[in-house]
Amino acid sequence: MSGGSGRSRAGGDGDWVYAPEVLPLSLCDYPGEPAIVVFFSGCNYRCGYCQNWKLRTQEESHRTDLRRILEFLGGSKTVCACKVTGGEPLLQLDPLKRIAARAKSLGLRFGVDTNGTMPERLSEMLPLLDLVSIDIKTSLDDSEYEKVTGVPEPRSRKVVESIRLALSSEAYVDLRMVIIPGVNDAPRIARSVAAKLKELGYDNKADKGEARFTLVEFVPENAGCEEYSKMRNPSVGELKALARLIDLRNVRVTHRALGHSVKLEEIP
Amino acid sequence: MNGKCPPPVRRSDGVIVPFNKDLIVKSLVKETQLVKELYGEKPLSEEEARLIADEVQEEILNMRLKMLSGPLIREIVNVKLLEHGFAKQRNVYTRVGMPLYEVYRIDNSDGYESRENANLQPNPETFHKKKADFLSKESYLLMIPSHIADAHLKGDIHLHDLEYWGTRPFCQDHDLRYFFFYGLMPDGTGTHTSVAGPAKHAEVAILHAAKVLGAAQTNFAGGQGFFNFTVFMAPYLVGLDSKKLHQTAQMFLYEMTQLYVARGGQPVFSSIQIESGVPKVWQDAPVVSHGKVWSDLRYGDLEETVHAFALALLDEYLKGDAMGKMFNFPKPEVVQRRRYWEDKEYEDVMLRAAQLSAKFGSTYYDNMIPTYRGGEDGVSCFQCCAYSFSEDGKSESFQKKIMFEGGAHFSMGGMQVVTVNLPRVAYKSGGDEARLLEILKSTMDIAKEALLLKSATIKRQFERGLIPFASQRPRGAPPAVDINNLSLTIGFVGMNELVQHMTGYEIHEDQSAQKLALKVLIEMDKIRKSYAEETGEKFSIARTPAESAAQRFAVADLIHYPKFARELVKGNLESALSRLNDTKDVPVYYSNGAHVNVSAPVTLDQRLSIEQRFFPILKGGDIFHVWIGEANPDPEALLKLNRRIATQSWVGYWSHTKDISLCRDCGYVGGGLSSKCPVCGSASVKNYSRITGYYQDVSSWNAAKKQELIDRYRVRIS
Repeated sequence: MSGGSGRSRAGGDGDWVYAPEVLPLSLCDYPGEPAIVVFFSGCNYRCGYCQNWKLRTQEESHRTDLRRILEFLGGSKTVCACKVTGGEPLLQLDPLKRIAARAKSLGLRFGVDTNGTMPERLSEMLPLLDLVSIDIKTSLDDSEYEKVTGVPEPRSRKVVESIRLALSSEAYVDLRMVIIPGVNDAPRIARSVAAKLKELGYDNKADKGEARFTLVEFVPENAGCEEYSKMRNPSVGELKALARLIDLRNVRVTHRALGHSVKLEEIP
Repeated sequence: MNGKCPPPVRRSDGVIVPFNKDLIVKSLVKETQLVKELYGEKPLSEEEARLIADEVQEEILNMRLKMLSGPLIREIVNVKLLEHGFAKQRNVYTRVGMPLYEVYRIDNSDGYESRENANLQPNPETFHKKKADFLSKESYLLMIPSHIADAHLKGDIHLHDLEYWGTRPFCQDHDLRYFFFYGLMPDGTGTHTSVAGPAKHAEVAILHAAKVLGAAQTNFAGGQGFFNFTVFMAPYLVGLDSKKLHQTAQMFLYEMTQLYVARGGQPVFSSIQIESGVPKVWQDAPVVSHGKVWSDLRYGDLEETVHAFALALLDEYLKGDAMGKMFNFPKPEVVQRRRYWEDKEYEDVMLRAAQLSAKFGSTYYDNMIPTYRGGEDGVSCFQCCAYSFSEDGKSESFQKKIMFEGGAHFSMGGMQVVTVNLPRVAYKSGGDEARLLEILKSTMDIAKEALLLKSATIKRQFERGLIPFASQRPRGAPPAVDINNLSLTIGFVGMNELVQHMTGYEIHEDQSAQKLALKVLIEMDKIRKSYAEETGEKFSIARTPAESAAQRFAVADLIHYPKFARELVKGNLESALSRLNDTKDVPVYYSNGAHVNVSAPVTLDQRLSIEQRFFPILKGGDIFHVWIGEANPDPEALLKLNRRIATQSWVGYWSHTKDISLCRDCGYVGGGLSSKCPVCGSASVKNYSRITGYYQDVSSWNAAKKQELIDRYRVRIS
């Protein structure tokens, strides 16, 4: 794992990036926009439920010519936005900036998915971002975070800092929490996340129509590790019950039996 | 020993009689008269018949049988006819039917015949239809000129709905005003069914609409629909509150999915065109409803009701049935016009349409924006399996139809579809482009001949009152269906494989391949025009749904042109070859119409930029498929994508295909093809996806279509 930008490893001109996949059209990654999604590889977490587990480490085979991606962005007339996900995109900051600049110059909205562990880099990116999607794994403290992320120093304080930065920026803030029965579905966890977000000013941002918080169905079939793949998915009812405990504005639920990011009050 | 006396005959009408040679003579002379009628050739003379009968008696005596049957004697006569060179006479003298073994298999819902049309689910009516279809198909292949029958059997062309060749036209988009003015006569004559006066109430209007499609289905081989449905229904819906409006919409969806009576136990293959407002051509037209032409009410006055009804319909589609499952019929054809995208007021309908696509994939988008659709001055619709019909505003009778003068109304539909096997044309050309175009023409000539024959046959049936719903003339009205206005459609399969054979590239791989595809299409359109001028008939070129033809052609070519076909057929060749001796239901296919190979690693943009160019030429119909990979697409994002396709491309008709799983135990409905229910864990899960032009249970698909589902390229590239 490089732990840094593509540029440092590419010998000066930053012509490549660990980005093994480009999804030319996604209808569920950028809120309200058909989007191109670029997948960076390399991650500093090891979440068992991750559906992109193949992108955890940076492999030689993931090296992609950055120019190809930049060209690809220009070739699409059907998309309105571009999002970089992963892996953890902020691990490769320079290529990320170049993709963002290109997207903006093409009139596309630009967003990034992050686990929130690198607030300094996020802050550097923020002027270029129309969207920040942050995964909240569980209660925002290290002992809980360690259980889900599988790393000994999960830096949950950094995550809190990232959320604070995002909420005080101009970008739309898309907070998501994948709910895994028996792992992070306890009512106290939901309440504690809600309390923390309230403290960080989430409701103000949501009132402006610039933030949402979605509880997402965990899909065992897509999980990267065997332990998680044997677990069960939560029902719509369970997600709805949890969402009700969360005393925040614009709380939503995503479930295969329900649809994409459906507002709590619209769930039948 | 029977000596010189043949055994008695067990006849198929249920009696046992002594053998009588004269009966053979009599029947031969009588039945071979058909040779004159069908092929213009000579029937058997009495002497010739006697000669045959003598030999048959001789043969029977040599066989030393204890019992004879009518069918057995007939088979022996047929052999003698062939021995004497009376092949045509044998054609008409022969029995048609099927081996007992096949009948047994059909009753047990087994075998190729059970999978030809996924809309037919196993049930007693279906089994009956399958047997009748088999008999019909075999008869018609004997009755049509042999070079046309041979072209079909060899796989040069495909005669669609062959079982209805001599009895039914293909499809129809009806004008509801006709029934709201004259009332409803389901049998077309009023002698076998009751006759209803024009509807006076919303519920009755809805029920009449449903019954029109059900009754018409008994006269037609293919889809039944209503163009301008929301506009023509509106006069009955004015002033209804939202609850009542939704209830009315829901009634229609249930009627069309629960009238499980069409063509051997299936729902009517139906579609409705959903306008969000009143189109320009209808603004000043007088309202026709409640049995009268209103002098003081125009459709333009009903704008609000049309809008509200369009919304109510889409709301009900979104709700689904009592299990939460989608309504797969009537196919909702949501009309796209510039004003629906520019005027904020209609945004709600466009959003509902996108929500329906995101939830069930059910919406079809009928795009009137590209100029080749005739703009705001004509009337046109897509229906059934993406065929397109239109009448342009310049025709003489157009204004009369708009005004409903003397009952003049629109009647858009198809007479028959004949599909051309394009890869075969390429194989025969030896790779030479000039030769390719020659063979294309000669193959299309056979299709033309078949279409004209069909048209003449059906027009004769129509004149004789044998298609009574279509030919009905209540109170001296013009016939419900204008039989002279039906399209003769030439379809095609495998443009991608044609160009692949000629250029070495698939359509998505190289400019030269796309150029050739366009060139061939333009040539086909030229030939079409020449047919139209020569005959005065409405010929059109279309991408056919080819639910079974795409497989049949691929299989036929693996048999007749193995060297070339093995290189080009799509799907699982190895599996197909290993099973080809036992079954023709194998997982290989050609790409439909001029579509890009479904498994091609191209982006939606690339596919769009290639396929949109074919739409203006394919006025007879085409469809652009967007395969949605996500289980939970975001409707807002889908809405934006729709706006782009509608306003910035030439695509005239598209849909988003989302795979759906339905749990039969707990009623779960969700995206993706799951084998296990994500809610209750049950394995009793049904998978639904779009087969050519409609949604159906995947388990009822043929092997080629199942393979295509596996091959469909979801949007991810690496």
